Amino acid sequence: MKATGILLLFFFCYTGRWCQEYSFIKIPAGTYEIGLKGSVENPWRRITVKAFSISATELTNAEFERFVVATGYQTEAERFKDALVFEPGLEEFRWLDDSTAYWRYPNGITRGGITGKMNHPVTGISFTDALAYCKWAGVRLPTLEEWEIAARAGSATKYFKGVTAENISRYANIWQGRDHLQADSTDGFMYTAPVARFQPNPWGLYDVFGNVFEFCSGSLPRDKGRRVAHARGGSWWCSKNACNFFNAVDIGSVNPHASFSNLGFRVVKDAEGR
Amino acid sequence: MKKSIFLLLCSACFLFVQAQDNSYQQPSKAATAYREFRQKTTVPPYGLENVKKQIAAIKDKPGESGDEGISALTDAVYQSLSLREKFTYAMIHPEMYAQNCDINMIHPNEHKEIFGYLVSEGDEETWSSRQLDFLRSNRDSVMALIRESANRSRRMGVNYKNALVEMDAWEMIPYLIDFYTRDKKDKDLLTVLMLLMKRGKFIPFTRSASYKKLYGIDGNHETALEYNSANEALTIARARAFYKERKPAGAQ
Repeated sequence: MKATGILLLFFFCYTGRWCQEYSFIKIPAGTYEIGLKGSVENPWRRITVKAFSISATELTNAEFERFVVATGYQTEAERFKDALVFEPGLEEFRWLDDSTAYWRYPNGITRGGITGKMNHPVTGISFTDALAYCKWAGVRLPTLEEWEIAARAGSATKYFKGVTAENISRYANIWQGRDHLQADSTDGFMYTAPVARFQPNPWGLYDVFGNVFEFCSGSLPRDKGRRVAHARGGSWWCSKNACNFFNAVDIGSVNPHASFSNLGFRVVKDAEGR
Repeated sequence: MKKSIFLLLCSACFLFVQAQDNSYQQPSKAATAYREFRQKTTVPPYGLENVKKQIAAIKDKPGESGDEGISALTDAVYQSLSLREKFTYAMIHPEMYAQNCDINMIHPNEHKEIFGYLVSEGDEETWSSRQLDFLRSNRDSVMALIRESANRSRRMGVNYKNALVEMDAWEMIPYLIDFYTRDKKDKDLLTVLMLLMKRGKFIPFTRSASYKKLYGIDGNHETALEYNSANEALTIARARAFYKERKPAGAQ
């Protein structure tokens, strides 16, 4: 009887985790310090923002699937067959184009799909796809500034409190190999990890560093008027030797129509509703 | 006493690390100008008008608006280009998406450093497989075009330098050394020499302290050597030795 009870409890906890909506962390209105002194791209500054709520985790495959099932939405990778995928053996910063890849097979059909990975962040989607999701779900992407405020969690450095370059692997799913010629699963994951598997920041946000680069809204001077998507926080692909953007200062860029297996997003809603 | 000095040293180290995280030194005007110089590309003149016309005629993918997505020439149009035009097309229209996540901050003394890697060109695209295949399978012709174009414009854009590395253009080493020593302005030419030696796994280089610093366990795209006559001379001497080793016996 006791055992059945425990099993039932376990079952409800387990299914609850899969079914739950993303939980939000409320960030109060206020003035926050962001940027880095001397940086051209992201100079140190104080900014005042309205209150907003940001999801504690990156958007999962399960959540994206609900959108697709409800709307029949086809991602850009499905329409244009132009997703970029990774496999060990590639030189630094090289990706492969794979016409079979899209969010259900983020690294192409031959490298496996998302079965059993519904609690991993959705990838293989473009910035444009992320906007489509947000429109349907009544949420939005964080601005570049909102993302940084939430990621820093009050820290004045480029990492949130407790993180250093040496211990970041406790908090972030990143690449720990010297290069990408050999597979690296030192932390248990070569590609994405389930959301919230690593330790959160002091405000309760998981995976702000590593796992997937997170799309944000906003523009930078270096865009020179072009429409460019920006993503922050680094990803499972990023190592200290290549693309060490797993911090709260650096900002990556990508074409708004590009779909990569290390790009995803988390969502925001204004504190008083949408 | 000893303990106090040790504690003081620890505190100083800690504060230094903190300071590094909190700010970075504003680059000088010379450093900023040198970064701009490093990021410049070269537009080849070969069939440029026709190539631009073909690029302009590319139809956007359905659902795209304007110039947002990257679009490539169809196979038929691409194959209709001459070798020189294909070269120009590659240099001005990389046709595969890329993520730009190695946009490093300008170093305070960037103009006084020799970097381990070339700088990012700044945009969000890279060469596709067919463009890389073209460069590699026509390396003799492409090297000749790069030489001709660089002689004419007296500079070598980062796209040319990247192409040389991608093609493993070790035969260009004497030319690159001559080109560099004309005015010694473009220290990224020394970077190309090092990348070619790295690619060629040239043992006197791969066992060197420079290699360890630039490409070792802690090296990344921001790592650089100090630019001084000793490092310059050593890089050139090693590159000459690498070329000599690789050159077939009897070749000029």
